[in-house]
Amino acid sequence: MPPSKLKSVYFSLIVALIFLLLPWSGVWLKIRPDFLLLVIIFWIIRAPNLCNVGTAWFVGLFVDLATGGIFGQYALAYTITAFFAVTYQRRLVLFNNTQQLFYVFLLLIISQIVLLILKTFAGAELIGWGYFLPSITGILLWKIAVFLGLNTGGRSRGA
Amino acid sequence: MSRRINHKLEHQPVPAFFVRGPSAFARLAFFSLLSIALMATDSRLHYLISLRQSLQVLLHPLQLLANTPSQIYRNVDEYFTTHDRLLNENRQLRQHELKQDIALQKLDTLALENEHLRQLLQTNKSVVESTVVGEIMHVGRDLFTKKIVVNRGERHSIEAGEAVVDATGVIGQVTRVYPLSSEVTLITDKSLAIPIQVERNGLRAIAFGHGRDNTLDLPYLPTNVDIQRGDKLVTSGIDGVYPAGLAVATVSQIEITPDSPFARIICVPTGGVENHRQVLLVSIPRVEVLPSNEINAAAKPDAQAKPKDGKQSAAKPVNMKPANTKPPAKPQSNNTSKPHAAE
Repeated sequence: MPPSKLKSVYFSLIVALIFLLLPWSGVWLKIRPDFLLLVIIFWIIRAPNLCNVGTAWFVGLFVDLATGGIFGQYALAYTITAFFAVTYQRRLVLFNNTQQLFYVFLLLIISQIVLLILKTFAGAELIGWGYFLPSITGILLWKIAVFLGLNTGGRSRGA
Repeated sequence: MSRRINHKLEHQPVPAFFVRGPSAFARLAFFSLLSIALMATDSRLHYLISLRQSLQVLLHPLQLLANTPSQIYRNVDEYFTTHDRLLNENRQLRQHELKQDIALQKLDTLALENEHLRQLLQTNKSVVESTVVGEIMHVGRDLFTKKIVVNRGERHSIEAGEAVVDATGVIGQVTRVYPLSSEVTLITDKSLAIPIQVERNGLRAIAFGHGRDNTLDLPYLPTNVDIQRGDKLVTSGIDGVYPAGLAVATVSQIEITPDSPFARIICVPTGGVENHRQVLLVSIPRVEVLPSNEINAAAKPDAQAKPKDGKQSAAKPVNMKPANTKPPAKPQSNNTSKPHAAE
């Protein structure tokens, strides 16, 4: 595949940010996937030289700003998730699509759990298992993107 | 020859495989520490307010862009509303206006009378609040809190602490002000408390948001309290934030359990917390400070007047501090249980 450009990384991140900023409400807010994290995971798998832990942290700051929470919550969650994604990046490229999907799901869950811990420290009440729904819609979105031809590096050996 | 090859090699883009910079773990440690430091600074100190405001300005155009699709949809929808519906709506509005006009006429005379009586009693002038109409831009994105963002901000002289009201009742309080927008914490949020009064018997209490469902709690009231289902709760006006007499909630459920000295009272907010677009931001009433010689004159005859005063004004069941220990501070946090304005 052709080398990715830094421009396309930024462009996709801005598009994801606009998706986050859409006026979500009600049920849609509850199942809204974490667009920015998905984009970051995609770029970490595909071009780890362009997108790394630092990028994830910086993007996390903007998500913090958009959600209006305490500065640094999303930044920390994204940093930790990006760390796991980077550590296993070379292995991840060898996975087939289904394995990759499972791995992305784990990454999304990690970020949500970190966030949950931080929010609980800050005094929030638990909101039930529905909290993890965005991870599921997240991998559905990933699956759709792969189905539509997005090259995430996963090999369709098993398929 | 070999030099030339070397020269060529240097200009080749280095394979991504080798460009890794500091190890991933080092990056993780660095950025984690940075975010933890940020969190500590943001939650305990107030250094980051201006940073947040300036970054929010950067985000504002993106926000407007993101709002365009729904805006366009609404505009198209409005354009194609039928003639019949518009006529109907017009008729209803006219009737409504007539009713309100009559009520307003009464209000004028009442206001005059009130002013006159106040002059007779030589009390402070009642304060007239100014209001700004705002439109809800979007619902808060954090599932753990109940917030909305309104399209009026510092530029429109909005201040943190202002009450937010819609046609049917109080919906919240401004907790964070950005240059072009502001964040409103709804009364159903866990961190917001609002002083209320039961309309039927004038009982004062403080309502707290429940957080998870769209309800309010009335904690710390004894089991024998005189509250019934269907009682209307209105703002008491003694907090210096909310104008008195605005509808807040209706009592929907009262549970009395033998193992608790307090009744569990659940109320449903009257204001359309979830379904209106236009809201009214009511400015914080400024109370004129009494001239100091007047205060001295009042204090002289009775040396113990001050502490007494403090006790009297602590009529709220859960007033944390006596009202006279601190001058009324500018409300910055979303906690409304602050010393209220002396009337």
